[in-house]
Amino acid sequence: MYDLLIKGGRVVDGTGAPAFAADVAVNAGRIAAVGADLGEAKRVIDAKGQVVAPGFIDPHTHFDVQLLWDGAAKPALEHGITSVVPGNCSLSLAPLKAKDRKTLVGMFQQIEEMPPAAFTDAFEWTWEDFAGYRAALEKGLAINVAPLVGHSVIRLWVMGPNANQRAARPDEVKAMQDLLRECLQAGAVGLSTSFVDVDEKARPVPSRFADFAELDALSAVLGEFGRMLQIVPEFYDADITIARIDQLAELSLKHGIPTTFSPVFDSRFAPNAAPRQLARVEEQFARGARVWPQMQTRPIDISFSLLRPSLFFARLPSWMRTLRQPLPERLAALRDAEAVERLIADAGPDGGEAIFGSLVARGGDALPAELAGLTLGEIAKARGETPASALISLSLERGLDVAFIAANRGHEDTGRIGPMLASPHVHIGASDGGAHIASFATYGDTGYLFSEFVRKAGAMTLEQAVKKITSETADIWRIKDRGTLKEGFAADIVVFDPDAIGRGEEHAVFDMPGDGMRYVRGSIGVDTVVVNGEIAWAKGAYTDAKAGEICGLA
Amino acid sequence: MTAPVRELRVETAEAVIERAEIAAGHDGAAELALSIRYENGVVGQVVLDPDTGFSVMRACGAADLNGLIGRSWREVSKGLSNV
Repeated sequence: MYDLLIKGGRVVDGTGAPAFAADVAVNAGRIAAVGADLGEAKRVIDAKGQVVAPGFIDPHTHFDVQLLWDGAAKPALEHGITSVVPGNCSLSLAPLKAKDRKTLVGMFQQIEEMPPAAFTDAFEWTWEDFAGYRAALEKGLAINVAPLVGHSVIRLWVMGPNANQRAARPDEVKAMQDLLRECLQAGAVGLSTSFVDVDEKARPVPSRFADFAELDALSAVLGEFGRMLQIVPEFYDADITIARIDQLAELSLKHGIPTTFSPVFDSRFAPNAAPRQLARVEEQFARGARVWPQMQTRPIDISFSLLRPSLFFARLPSWMRTLRQPLPERLAALRDAEAVERLIADAGPDGGEAIFGSLVARGGDALPAELAGLTLGEIAKARGETPASALISLSLERGLDVAFIAANRGHEDTGRIGPMLASPHVHIGASDGGAHIASFATYGDTGYLFSEFVRKAGAMTLEQAVKKITSETADIWRIKDRGTLKEGFAADIVVFDPDAIGRGEEHAVFDMPGDGMRYVRGSIGVDTVVVNGEIAWAKGAYTDAKAGEICGLA
Repeated sequence: MTAPVRELRVETAEAVIERAEIAAGHDGAAELALSIRYENGVVGQVVLDPDTGFSVMRACGAADLNGLIGRSWREVSKGLSNV
C-alpha cells in the first residue's frame, strides 16, 4: 500500500513530453510509480480534470530570513513552488561572524524591506558558519531549499571593515577560497555576487569591490564542485551587461561551471537591449559556455506616494516642482488652493483622467481598506472630483501615506516576451521572491506564466512551460532527483487546473514580524502541493507538514 | 562665414540627449531612461535610478523631461558625478 495516490489526472512529467493520463503513487517521500491501476494507498487525491506536474523550482529568491520563521516561504508554496534558491545577489545569512550581523542586516533590509523585528524577534541567531545556518533552516522547512552563499558575506568574514573599501590581497583571496569551499561542502548550491546592489546607506555592497582575479579565484573553487555562479550585472546598461555575459562565459569555460545572471527585462524604451543580450548568450552557448539569463514573467509596475519625490511626475513641471520640495513646503503647497488649482490645470483638460485615472490605490498604508484596489478614476468619481484633485486630496487626508501603482509600465509586451521566455537559452526566474516586500508582490510568476504565456498568448505549450520551471531548472542548478515525475525522484508534486492557474490580485498583509506590512498575491487554480511526499497545501489552506529539505545536489 | 560653421561643428560634435522617458525600475520605482546620440551617430540607452535621475535633471536645469532633450552629455555627466 502506497502512502499517497494522486489519481485520474493528466501527468505533465516535466520532461516536455506530451501530457498523458496516469496515476502517481508516492512512498516514503519518493515517487513510487507513474501509471495505471497502481493499487491501494493510505491517502488518495482525486485529480480528475487537473494536471499533475513536478513541483516548480524558483531559482532567484531572498527568502533567507523568512524561512527561519516561515518554512513554507508563504505564499510561494501555494503557487506550486516546492523548491527555492535563496542567497542571491551576494547576500546570505552565512557565513557571518556575530559582530557583523548588524552590517548584514542593513544590506538585507535594503533589498528585502523587512522590518527590523524580522532580524531580532523572529528567530534565534545561533550560527556563524554555513553548516550552522543550514542546521537552523532544516528545523522547520515545509519547502525545499537550495541555498547560495553570498560573495559579500564571504568578503565580510575575511576582510572585515575593508570588505567594502578595496580589492582583496592574495592572502585574503586564498582565505575566501577556503571559506567558499567549506560552504559548498556544507551544501551551498553556488556563489552569488552583485555589481549593482547597495546597502541601507546607498553604499556599494562588498562584492562590488572585488576585482576579476578574485572572481576568477572563487570560480575556480566552484569548478571543484561544478557549482553555480550567480551575478547581478549592470542591467541598466545593455553594453555593460553584454560585457558581463562575455566575462561569465570565460569563467564558465575555464572552470567548467554553470553561470546565471539576472534580471533581463524587455523595455519599450530600449527594444534592442534584451534581444542583444540574448543573442550574445546564444553565441556563448555555441562556444560551449553555460551562461543562463534569468527572465521574469511578470510585468513591472511603478509605485509611488506623495511622501517621496518620484520621477513618475517628470512629464509635469508644476507637479515635479511641488513634489520635490521638502515635506513641510510640499504639504503647504498641496494645501494652497491656488497652487492646487494650477496643478490640476497642468494635469490636462480632462482633469488628469489620462495620466492618473488608471492608477490603482494599493492599500497597506493609511488608505481606508475599502478603497484598496480601486482606480483613482473610480475613487475620484465617487468623491465628485477629478483624478488629479482626488490624488491630492486623498493623499492630504492621509498624511500623504497613500501609495498608488501604475501597472504594466515595463517588461509588459507579451508578444515580445513570450518568444524570449520560450527560448531554450532563457532561464525563467528572477522572481525575487521575498524581496522588495513593501514595494510590490514577488509571488505568482509561475501562475502568470501559464495564464499569460500558455493560455492567452500560446507562446509555449503547457508541457514546455512546466519543463522550464521544473526539470530544466533542476538541470541548470544540478539539483538532484527533483523536477521530474519519475520513479525514485523526490515526490514534489503540484496538482492544478490548467484552464484556471494564475495569480491573484496584489494585496497588503501584515504578517511580518512586528506586524510588518508586505504585498502578496495568492494562487489561483492550484489544488494541491506535495513536498517530499507530504501534502503541504490543499484546497486553499496550508497544512502542518514540515517535509522540506536542503536540496541534494548532483 | 566661418563662425556659424564652427558653431555648427561644435553642436554636432557633442553627445546629446535625444530622448527621455520614464521607465519602470526593477524595484518598482520610476526611473529616467535616456537615449544619447553620440558624436559618431550611434545612439545608446541608459536607465538612471531615481536619485541619479533627479540629479541629472538638476544638473541640466530641466523642469521636466522635455527640458532634457538636446542637452549635452557633459551636463548629464555633471549630474551623475553629483549623486
